[in-house]
Amino acid sequence: MITKYFSKVVVKFNPFGKEAKIARLMLAAIPPAQRNMGTQIQSEIISDYNKVKPLVKVTYKDKKEMEVDPSSMSFQELANHFDRYSKRLDLKHMLEMH
Amino acid sequence: MLRSGFIPKRVSRNGFFALTDTIGVSNRFYALASEQVSRKTVKPLDSRKTFLVDTYKHLMENSSVVLFAHYNNLSKTEDHHFRFKIKQTGGTLTKVRNNLFEVYLKNSHLPDPCGFVKRKEQNRSHPLLPLLKGPTAAITYEDANPQQVAKLLKLLKSAQDKLLVIGAKVENQVLNVEKLNDFKSLPTKLEMQSQLATVLQMLSGLGLVRTLESGSNALYLTLKSHHDNQKPKEDAENSSADDKSVESKQ
Repeated sequence: MITKYFSKVVVKFNPFGKEAKIARLMLAAIPPAQRNMGTQIQSEIISDYNKVKPLVKVTYKDKKEMEVDPSSMSFQELANHFDRYSKRLDLKHMLEMH
Repeated sequence: MLRSGFIPKRVSRNGFFALTDTIGVSNRFYALASEQVSRKTVKPLDSRKTFLVDTYKHLMENSSVVLFAHYNNLSKTEDHHFRFKIKQTGGTLTKVRNNLFEVYLKNSHLPDPCGFVKRKEQNRSHPLLPLLKGPTAAITYEDANPQQVAKLLKLLKSAQDKLLVIGAKVENQVLNVEKLNDFKSLPTKLEMQSQLATVLQMLSGLGLVRTLESGSNALYLTLKSHHDNQKPKEDAENSSADDKSVESKQ
Protein backbone atom coordinates (compact mmCIF):
# COMPACT_ATOMS: atom_id res chain seq x y z
CA MET A 1 0.00 0.00 0.00
CA ILE A 2 1.33 3.44 -0.90
CA THR A 3 0.89 5.57 2.20
CA LYS A 4 3.08 8.57 1.52
CA TYR A 5 0.25 10.71 0.08
CA PHE A 6 -2.00 10.25 3.12
CA SER A 7 -2.42 13.32 5.31
CA LYS A 8 -5.01 11.92 7.71
CA VAL A 9 -6.22 8.42 8.51
CA VAL A 10 -9.32 7.71 10.62
CA VAL A 11 -10.05 4.13 11.66
CA LYS A 12 -13.11 3.09 13.63
CA PHE A 13 -13.54 -0.56 14.54
CA ASN A 14 -14.84 -3.03 17.08
CA PRO A 15 -11.94 -5.27 18.20
CA PHE A 16 -14.27 -8.25 18.67
CA GLY A 17 -15.90 -7.85 15.25
CA LYS A 18 -14.83 -9.32 11.92
CA GLU A 19 -13.66 -5.93 10.61
CA ALA A 20 -11.01 -5.81 13.36
CA LYS A 21 -8.35 -7.63 11.33
CA ILE A 22 -8.45 -5.30 8.35
CA ALA A 23 -8.72 -2.16 10.49
CA ARG A 24 -5.76 -3.17 12.66
CA LEU A 25 -3.63 -4.19 9.69
CA MET A 26 -4.41 -0.80 8.14
CA LEU A 27 -3.17 0.92 11.30
CA ALA A 28 -0.05 -1.23 11.33
CA ALA A 29 0.68 -0.61 7.64
CA ILE A 30 1.48 3.06 8.19
CA PRO A 31 5.19 3.41 8.88
CA PRO A 32 6.20 5.05 12.18
CA ALA A 33 8.35 7.69 10.47
CA GLN A 34 5.26 9.02 8.73
CA ARG A 35 3.78 10.26 11.99
CA ASN A 36 6.68 12.67 12.28
CA MET A 37 6.19 13.76 8.69
CA GLY A 38 2.76 15.14 9.51
CA THR A 39 0.30 12.29 8.86
CA GLN A 40 -2.44 12.30 11.48
CA ILE A 41 -3.68 8.92 12.64
CA GLN A 42 -6.90 8.66 14.60
CA SER A 43 -8.45 5.48 15.88
CA GLU A 44 -11.72 4.93 17.66
CA ILE A 45 -12.98 1.76 19.29
CA ILE A 46 -16.65 0.96 18.84
CA SER A 47 -18.62 -1.04 21.34
CA ASP A 48 -22.11 -0.37 19.98
CA TYR A 49 -22.74 -0.73 16.25
CA ASN A 50 -25.96 1.30 16.45
CA LYS A 51 -24.12 4.48 17.38
CA VAL A 52 -21.02 4.29 15.17
CA LYS A 53 -20.36 2.21 12.07
CA PRO A 54 -16.93 0.68 11.34
CA LEU A 55 -14.99 2.92 9.00
CA VAL A 56 -11.63 3.52 7.36
CA LYS A 57 -11.30 7.04 6.04
CA VAL A 58 -8.25 8.46 4.29
CA THR A 59 -7.63 12.12 3.45
CA TYR A 60 -4.95 12.63 0.79
CA LYS A 61 -2.56 15.54 0.63
CA ASP A 62 -4.70 17.29 -1.98
CA LYS A 63 -7.71 17.10 0.40
CA LYS A 64 -9.41 14.26 -1.49
CA GLU A 65 -11.29 12.00 0.93
CA MET A 66 -12.04 8.30 0.51
CA GLU A 67 -14.15 6.14 2.81
CA VAL A 68 -14.50 2.40 3.07
CA ASP A 69 -16.41 -0.07 5.25
CA PRO A 70 -13.76 -2.57 6.41
CA SER A 71 -16.21 -5.34 7.30
CA SER A 72 -16.93 -6.23 3.68
CA MET A 73 -13.47 -6.66 2.14
CA SER A 74 -10.03 -8.21 2.49
CA PHE A 75 -6.90 -6.21 3.24
CA GLN A 76 -5.64 -6.56 -0.32
CA GLU A 77 -8.87 -5.14 -1.70
CA LEU A 78 -8.67 -2.23 0.73
CA ALA A 79 -5.06 -1.53 -0.23
CA ASN A 80 -5.97 -1.61 -3.94
CA HIS A 81 -8.85 0.74 -3.30
CA PHE A 82 -6.62 3.40 -1.71
CA ASP A 83 -3.72 2.77 -4.10
CA ARG A 84 -5.86 3.70 -7.07
CA TYR A 85 -5.79 7.37 -6.10
CA SER A 86 -2.26 7.23 -4.64
CA LYS A 87 -0.94 6.04 -8.01
CA ARG A 88 -2.63 8.96 -9.75
CA LEU A 89 -0.95 11.35 -7.30
CA ASP A 90 2.32 9.52 -7.81
CA LEU A 91 2.11 10.01 -11.57
CA LYS A 92 1.30 13.68 -11.15
CA HIS A 93 4.24 14.07 -8.82
CA MET A 94 6.57 12.38 -11.33
CA LEU A 95 5.39 14.66 -14.15
CA GLU A 96 5.96 17.74 -12.02
CA MET A 97 9.48 16.63 -11.19
CA HIS A 98 10.54 16.43 -14.84
CA MET B 1 18.97 -48.93 39.93
CA LEU B 2 20.07 -46.11 37.66
CA ARG B 3 20.75 -43.85 40.59
CA SER B 4 23.05 -46.27 42.38
CA GLY B 5 24.93 -46.72 39.13
CA PHE B 6 25.19 -43.04 38.55
CA ILE B 7 26.72 -41.68 41.74
CA PRO B 8 29.74 -43.99 42.09
CA LYS B 9 30.70 -43.30 38.48
CA ARG B 10 30.78 -39.56 39.08
CA VAL B 11 32.68 -39.98 42.31
CA SER B 12 35.23 -42.38 40.85
CA ARG B 13 35.82 -40.19 37.82
CA ASN B 14 36.46 -37.00 39.81
CA GLY B 15 37.48 -38.02 43.27
CA PHE B 16 37.40 -34.47 44.63
CA PHE B 17 33.58 -34.11 44.23
CA ALA B 18 31.90 -33.45 47.54
CA LEU B 19 29.33 -36.17 48.26
CA THR B 20 26.43 -33.77 48.96
CA ASP B 21 27.14 -31.90 45.78
CA THR B 22 27.00 -35.03 43.69
CA ILE B 23 23.70 -36.07 45.19
CA GLY B 24 22.29 -32.62 44.48
CA VAL B 25 23.32 -32.82 40.86
CA SER B 26 22.00 -36.33 40.43
CA ASN B 27 18.63 -35.41 41.96
CA ARG B 28 18.23 -32.51 39.59
CA PHE B 29 19.16 -34.71 36.66
CA TYR B 30 16.52 -37.28 37.52
CA ALA B 31 13.83 -34.67 38.07
CA LEU B 32 14.42 -33.39 34.55
CA ALA B 33 14.61 -36.87 33.11
CA SER B 34 11.29 -37.91 34.62
CA GLU B 35 9.65 -34.77 33.22
CA GLN B 36 10.92 -35.58 29.78
CA VAL B 37 9.45 -39.02 29.91
CA SER B 38 6.03 -37.95 31.18
CA ARG B 39 5.44 -34.91 28.99
CA LYS B 40 4.59 -35.34 25.32
CA THR B 41 4.43 -32.17 23.30
CA VAL B 42 3.68 -31.44 19.64
CA LYS B 43 6.85 -29.37 19.23
CA PRO B 44 10.12 -30.51 20.88
CA LEU B 45 10.13 -29.95 24.64
CA ASP B 46 13.05 -27.50 24.55
CA SER B 47 11.75 -25.56 21.55
CA ARG B 48 10.82 -21.89 21.72
CA LYS B 49 7.23 -22.59 20.69
CA THR B 50 6.64 -24.92 23.64
CA PHE B 51 8.36 -22.42 25.92
CA LEU B 52 6.17 -19.56 24.71
CA VAL B 53 2.91 -21.49 25.03
CA ASP B 54 3.95 -22.39 28.59
CA THR B 55 4.77 -18.74 29.26
CA TYR B 56 1.34 -17.65 28.03
CA LYS B 57 -0.26 -20.26 30.26
CA HIS B 58 1.68 -18.89 33.22
CA LEU B 59 0.73 -15.31 32.31
CA MET B 60 -2.96 -16.03 31.98
CA GLU B 61 -3.27 -18.24 35.05
CA ASN B 62 -1.19 -16.20 37.49
CA SER B 63 -2.47 -12.73 36.72
CA SER B 64 -6.00 -11.74 37.54
CA VAL B 65 -6.09 -8.79 35.14
CA VAL B 66 -4.82 -9.14 31.57
CA LEU B 67 -5.37 -6.25 29.19
CA PHE B 68 -4.92 -6.73 25.46
CA ALA B 69 -3.52 -3.81 23.51
CA HIS B 70 -2.93 -3.11 19.83
CA TYR B 71 0.52 -1.62 19.24
CA ASN B 72 1.39 0.41 16.22
CA ASN B 73 4.94 0.31 14.90
CA LEU B 74 6.62 1.35 18.13
CA SER B 75 10.14 2.64 17.76
CA LYS B 76 12.77 1.37 20.19
CA THR B 77 12.58 4.49 22.39
CA GLU B 78 8.75 4.45 22.45
CA ASP B 79 8.81 0.77 23.33
CA HIS B 80 11.20 1.39 26.24
CA HIS B 81 9.14 4.39 27.36
CA PHE B 82 5.86 2.43 27.49
CA ARG B 83 7.42 -0.58 29.17
CA PHE B 84 8.90 1.69 31.84
CA LYS B 85 5.64 3.58 32.39
CA ILE B 86 3.60 0.38 32.58
CA LYS B 87 6.05 -1.05 35.08
CA GLN B 88 5.49 2.03 37.24
CA THR B 89 1.76 1.24 37.39
CA GLY B 90 2.60 -2.30 38.54
CA GLY B 91 2.11 -4.29 35.33
CA THR B 92 4.26 -5.85 32.65
CA LEU B 93 3.95 -5.58 28.90
CA THR B 94 4.46 -8.70 26.82
CA LYS B 95 4.27 -8.66 23.06
CA VAL B 96 2.46 -11.78 22.02
CA ARG B 97 2.93 -14.18 19.13
CA ASN B 98 -0.63 -14.48 17.87
CA ASN B 99 -0.57 -18.04 16.55
CA LEU B 100 1.00 -19.44 19.69
CA PHE B 101 -1.36 -17.50 21.93
CA GLU B 102 -4.24 -18.88 19.87
CA VAL B 103 -2.90 -22.39 20.48
CA TYR B 104 -2.90 -21.70 24.21
CA LEU B 105 -6.44 -20.24 24.18
CA LYS B 106 -7.82 -23.16 22.18
CA ASN B 107 -6.23 -25.68 24.57
CA SER B 108 -6.53 -23.66 27.78
CA HIS B 109 -9.13 -26.04 29.27
CA LEU B 110 -6.73 -29.00 28.90
CA PRO B 111 -4.04 -29.90 31.46
CA ASP B 112 -1.18 -29.46 28.97
CA PRO B 113 -1.80 -26.93 26.16
CA CYS B 114 1.33 -28.06 24.31
CA GLY B 115 0.26 -31.68 24.11
CA PHE B 116 -1.36 -33.58 21.27
CA VAL B 117 -5.00 -32.59 20.84
CA LYS B 118 -7.67 -33.61 18.41
CA ARG B 119 -9.32 -30.76 16.53
CA LYS B 120 -12.69 -31.64 18.04
CA GLU B 121 -11.38 -31.33 21.59
CA GLN B 122 -10.14 -27.77 21.03
CA ASN B 123 -12.17 -24.80 22.15
CA ARG B 124 -12.39 -22.88 18.88
CA SER B 125 -14.89 -20.33 20.18
CA HIS B 126 -12.81 -18.86 22.99
CA PRO B 127 -14.06 -15.27 23.53
CA LEU B 128 -10.52 -13.83 23.41
CA LEU B 129 -9.65 -15.33 20.01
CA PRO B 130 -10.92 -12.38 17.89
CA LEU B 131 -8.47 -10.05 19.66
CA LEU B 132 -5.44 -11.78 18.15
CA LYS B 133 -5.59 -10.21 14.70
CA GLY B 134 -2.73 -7.83 14.05
CA PRO B 135 0.03 -6.72 16.43
CA THR B 136 -1.10 -7.55 19.97
CA ALA B 137 0.49 -7.05 23.37
CA ALA B 138 -0.69 -8.28 26.76
CA ILE B 139 -0.42 -6.11 29.87
CA THR B 140 -0.65 -8.24 33.00
CA TYR B 141 -1.38 -7.40 36.63
CA GLU B 142 -1.18 -9.94 39.43
CA ASP B 143 -3.96 -8.43 41.56
CA ALA B 144 -7.32 -7.17 40.39
CA ASN B 145 -6.82 -3.55 41.39
CA PRO B 146 -9.05 -1.16 39.41
CA GLN B 147 -6.95 1.84 40.43
CA GLN B 148 -3.91 0.43 38.63
CA VAL B 149 -6.06 -0.14 35.56
CA ALA B 150 -7.36 3.43 35.76
CA LYS B 151 -3.77 4.71 35.91
CA LEU B 152 -2.80 2.59 32.91
CA LEU B 153 -5.78 3.74 30.84
CA LYS B 154 -4.89 7.34 31.62
CA LEU B 155 -1.32 6.68 30.51
CA LEU B 156 -2.44 5.03 27.28
CA LYS B 157 -4.80 7.88 26.49
CA SER B 158 -1.72 10.06 26.09
CA ALA B 159 -0.20 7.42 23.81
CA GLN B 160 -3.15 7.93 21.42
CA ASP B 161 -2.89 5.49 18.55
CA LYS B 162 0.49 3.99 19.41
CA LEU B 163 -0.83 1.62 22.05
CA LEU B 164 -4.57 1.18 22.40
CA VAL B 165 -6.43 -1.17 24.68
CA ILE B 166 -8.89 -3.37 22.80
CA GLY B 167 -10.12 -5.79 25.45
CA ALA B 168 -9.36 -7.40 28.76
CA LYS B 169 -9.67 -10.50 30.87
CA VAL B 170 -10.52 -9.80 34.51
CA GLU B 171 -10.51 -12.92 36.72
CA ASN B 172 -12.50 -15.22 34.41
CA GLN B 173 -14.52 -12.64 32.54
CA VAL B 174 -13.83 -11.10 29.16
CA LEU B 175 -14.49 -7.35 29.07
CA ASN B 176 -14.71 -4.99 26.14
CA VAL B 177 -13.49 -1.40 26.36
CA GLU B 178 -16.82 -0.01 27.54
CA LYS B 179 -17.05 -2.51 30.42
CA LEU B 180 -13.40 -1.90 31.25
CA ASN B 181 -14.18 1.78 31.77
CA ASP B 182 -16.87 0.77 34.27
CA PHE B 183 -14.45 -1.62 35.96
CA LYS B 184 -11.76 1.01 36.53
CA SER B 185 -14.13 3.13 38.65
CA LEU B 186 -14.86 0.25 41.07
CA PRO B 187 -13.21 0.15 44.53
CA THR B 188 -10.62 -2.57 45.14
CA LYS B 189 -11.60 -6.12 46.01
CA LEU B 190 -10.56 -5.76 49.67
CA GLU B 191 -12.63 -2.59 50.09
CA MET B 192 -15.66 -4.26 48.56
CA GLN B 193 -15.30 -7.26 50.88
CA SER B 194 -15.05 -5.00 53.92
CA GLN B 195 -18.11 -3.08 52.73
CA LEU B 196 -20.04 -6.32 52.42
CA ALA B 197 -18.90 -7.43 55.89
CA THR B 198 -20.06 -4.16 57.49
CA VAL B 199 -23.41 -4.37 55.74
CA LEU B 200 -23.89 -7.91 57.02
CA GLN B 201 -22.93 -6.90 60.57
CA MET B 202 -25.32 -3.97 60.53
CA LEU B 203 -28.21 -6.08 59.31
CA SER B 204 -27.61 -9.13 61.48
CA GLY B 205 -29.69 -7.57 64.28
CA LEU B 206 -32.53 -7.07 61.85
CA GLY B 207 -32.81 -10.78 61.11
CA LEU B 208 -30.75 -11.19 57.95
CA VAL B 209 -28.74 -13.98 59.52
CA ARG B 210 -31.95 -15.59 60.78
CA THR B 211 -33.43 -15.43 57.29
CA LEU B 212 -30.35 -17.07 55.82
CA GLU B 213 -30.46 -19.78 58.48
CA SER B 214 -34.21 -20.38 58.19
CA GLY B 215 -33.94 -22.60 55.10
CA SER B 216 -31.62 -25.13 56.70
CA ASN B 217 -33.49 -24.92 60.02
CA ALA B 218 -36.78 -25.74 58.33
CA LEU B 219 -35.22 -28.69 56.53
CA TYR B 220 -33.78 -30.02 59.79
CA LEU B 221 -37.12 -29.71 61.59
CA THR B 222 -39.09 -31.49 58.84
CA LEU B 223 -36.58 -34.31 58.67
CA LYS B 224 -36.56 -34.60 62.44
CA SER B 225 -40.34 -34.79 62.64
CA HIS B 226 -40.36 -37.37 59.85
CA HIS B 227 -37.78 -39.39 61.76
CA ASP B 228 -39.84 -39.14 64.93
CA ASN B 229 -42.93 -40.31 63.05
CA GLN B 230 -41.07 -43.30 61.65
CA LYS B 231 -39.61 -44.39 65.00
CA PRO B 232 -42.79 -45.45 66.85
CA LYS B 233 -43.87 -47.54 63.82
CA GLU B 234 -40.53 -49.36 63.71
CA ASP B 235 -40.74 -50.05 67.46
CA ALA B 236 -44.22 -51.46 67.03
CA GLU B 237 -43.11 -53.69 64.13
CA ASN B 238 -40.13 -54.94 66.09
CA SER B 239 -42.19 -55.81 69.11
CA SER B 240 -44.78 -57.71 66.99
CA ALA B 241 -41.98 -59.65 65.24
CA ASP B 242 -40.56 -60.65 68.65
CA ASP B 243 -43.95 -61.89 69.73
CA LYS B 244 -44.25 -64.04 66.60
CA SER B 245 -40.83 -65.61 67.07
CA VAL B 246 -41.61 -66.45 70.66
CA GLU B 247 -44.89 -68.11 69.54
CA SER B 248 -43.16 -70.20 66.83
CA LYS B 249 -40.59 -71.50 69.35
CA GLN B 250 -43.33 -72.61 71.65
